[in-house]
Amino acid sequence: MARIELSSLNKTFGSVTAVKNLNFTIEDGEFVVFVGPSGCGKTTTLRMIAGFEDPTSGEIRIDGRVVNDLEPRDRDLGMVFQSHALFPHKNVAQNIEFGLRMKKVPAQERIKRVRQVAEMVRIAHLLDKMPSQCSGGESQRIALARTLVTNPSTFLLDEPLSSLDAKLRRELRAECDRLHQELKRTFIFVTHDQEEAMTLADRIVVMRAGEIVQVGSPMQIYSNPINYFVADFFGSPSMNLVAGSIVRDNGVARFRSQLFDVVLPERLRTASPGKATLGIRPEHVGIGDDANSNTALPVRLVEPLGKDTLLYFDAGTERAFVAVSEGLRMAATKVGERLSLSLDSGQMHLFDAEGRCIRAS
Amino acid sequence: MVTKSRRRLISAVVRYTILTVWGIIAFFPIYWMLSTSFKPDIQWFAWPPVYFPDPPTLTNYMNVWLGAEQYDQTQYAISSQTPLVSLWNSTVIAFSSTFLAVAFGSVLAYGVSRYRILSEARMFQLLMLRMIPPIVVVAPLSLYYSALGLLDTRIGLIMVYFLTTLPYAVWMTKSFIDEVPREVEQAAEILGASRWRTVFEIVLPLIRSGLVATFLFILILTWSEYLLALIITKTQVSTLPIELSKYQGSTEGRVYGRQAALAVGITIPLMIVGLIIRKHLARGFSFGMVRR
Repeated sequence: MARIELSSLNKTFGSVTAVKNLNFTIEDGEFVVFVGPSGCGKTTTLRMIAGFEDPTSGEIRIDGRVVNDLEPRDRDLGMVFQSHALFPHKNVAQNIEFGLRMKKVPAQERIKRVRQVAEMVRIAHLLDKMPSQCSGGESQRIALARTLVTNPSTFLLDEPLSSLDAKLRRELRAECDRLHQELKRTFIFVTHDQEEAMTLADRIVVMRAGEIVQVGSPMQIYSNPINYFVADFFGSPSMNLVAGSIVRDNGVARFRSQLFDVVLPERLRTASPGKATLGIRPEHVGIGDDANSNTALPVRLVEPLGKDTLLYFDAGTERAFVAVSEGLRMAATKVGERLSLSLDSGQMHLFDAEGRCIRAS
Repeated sequence: MVTKSRRRLISAVVRYTILTVWGIIAFFPIYWMLSTSFKPDIQWFAWPPVYFPDPPTLTNYMNVWLGAEQYDQTQYAISSQTPLVSLWNSTVIAFSSTFLAVAFGSVLAYGVSRYRILSEARMFQLLMLRMIPPIVVVAPLSLYYSALGLLDTRIGLIMVYFLTTLPYAVWMTKSFIDEVPREVEQAAEILGASRWRTVFEIVLPLIRSGLVATFLFILILTWSEYLLALIITKTQVSTLPIELSKYQGSTEGRVYGRQAALAVGITIPLMIVGLIIRKHLARGFSFGMVRR
């Protein structure tokens, strides 16, 4: 059981503020993912929870007990590192056994538990090998097993999958998910990969420049980004963001840019005029619907992915305007062809000049 | 036109020629020492030079190392001390001072690497200590030593060797400790290991090759050190380099055969140590598991 509370947590390195006034509670058994660009303070936060960094101020509580002064080994946590951090001079079984040995578990019991855990993460055949003989994916499983075997109340995972290739990453992501379901432990996972965050988390904590920007379920974060940064960070391909302004024309609120002229939906009609950014996800852009067209743009690039096709349009900016078409229906579209695009007004997001999301009033 | 394979052949010939010439120049003194040590008296100075002892004899070795029949009364009695005693002195002094330097040096290096107990400036100053020519400190040192009763004692020489080689030990072992990823140690810590346990069970085994290399490097320095030993030792604890030097200015004339036999004896122990630990020297680092 572990409920982890972070209150008014700050960390500075010299003149650099890594974490700024963090207040957050991770519930027992929850899978929380800290996500953000590199340098946003997510790893520092995790390392403070682990006890490898001392907070400059603020408190960390595990199950109500302040642990600021406890050594890492006294916090009942398990950690998996980005570099795997296996002990290169010990074989796989000795690596896994290490934590049990430190806890003075009798030898017979150790052998049994090492085997159990190795079977659980499917590395039983590797027990006699040296870490240098194992592949990246195997190493990460070993690191996972080494942590699992000590049965910690909370698992801290610091970008554990980022050194692996895409296929292995998906495989181990599923593994993490399965372990969380089976063990019903608290998992705190740090990543810069929004896709990992979306697929794994019960709750996502988006961080930027040492502060929490938004907390929510993957769907909340995806569908209701609190600001421009979150909107831009989540989703692949990412949200189309068009700079322009809100204007009132004969009492009707519209969003206008060089290439778009969109009547704002009911819920956004009260938005005050001024500079703004319109956001719309590629899957909410209709292609070739001339009747409801908001604009027509020339195609810059066609990417048939099999399941669907991505169309990149020239919007006069460096970043292309992206739309998705299901299947391969549009795969043969010629580059340069001008197609009409319609934006689903129910799925539009508006951000003010400071990047904050303009909500319905 | 010169073809690729021809160019490769020419370059190989040139390279091997240069290496062979260099090899002959480098190894000739060692060969000459070995060959002279087996020569009978009349061939030491023979002209034209005798390249292979004819017949090879062990007399030089018997005389020098075992104090054979004529040791006391012949013209070849150079030193008041038999080399076996010097060999023992050298062994005790070189090995213990080297051991101390590596042991203390690596602890200090760990502190510097992980806790920054010395700033970069301090680390440089530590190395600067080695830049002072030993001859400069010899006079004050012998005064101190005389007052402390450390002159002509093993412990005196051990102390001075320990302190003068400590900077090397710190610098060398620090570079090896720096190579051990912090995360590997942290993994051990969060799994329940204490700091000392982590050092002894994780860090030291990982830098074993580095420790061995450092040990050998410092052992070579202390084994062959001459100047400080000359000043600090008098008659009781003379080391092998001192013994060897006595042959150079000997009033008994140039007894090259004996000198060569002694020189071979000084060289062999280091070679044996080198052979025993060559596996470590060659292996270096192979942190297969740590991806950066």
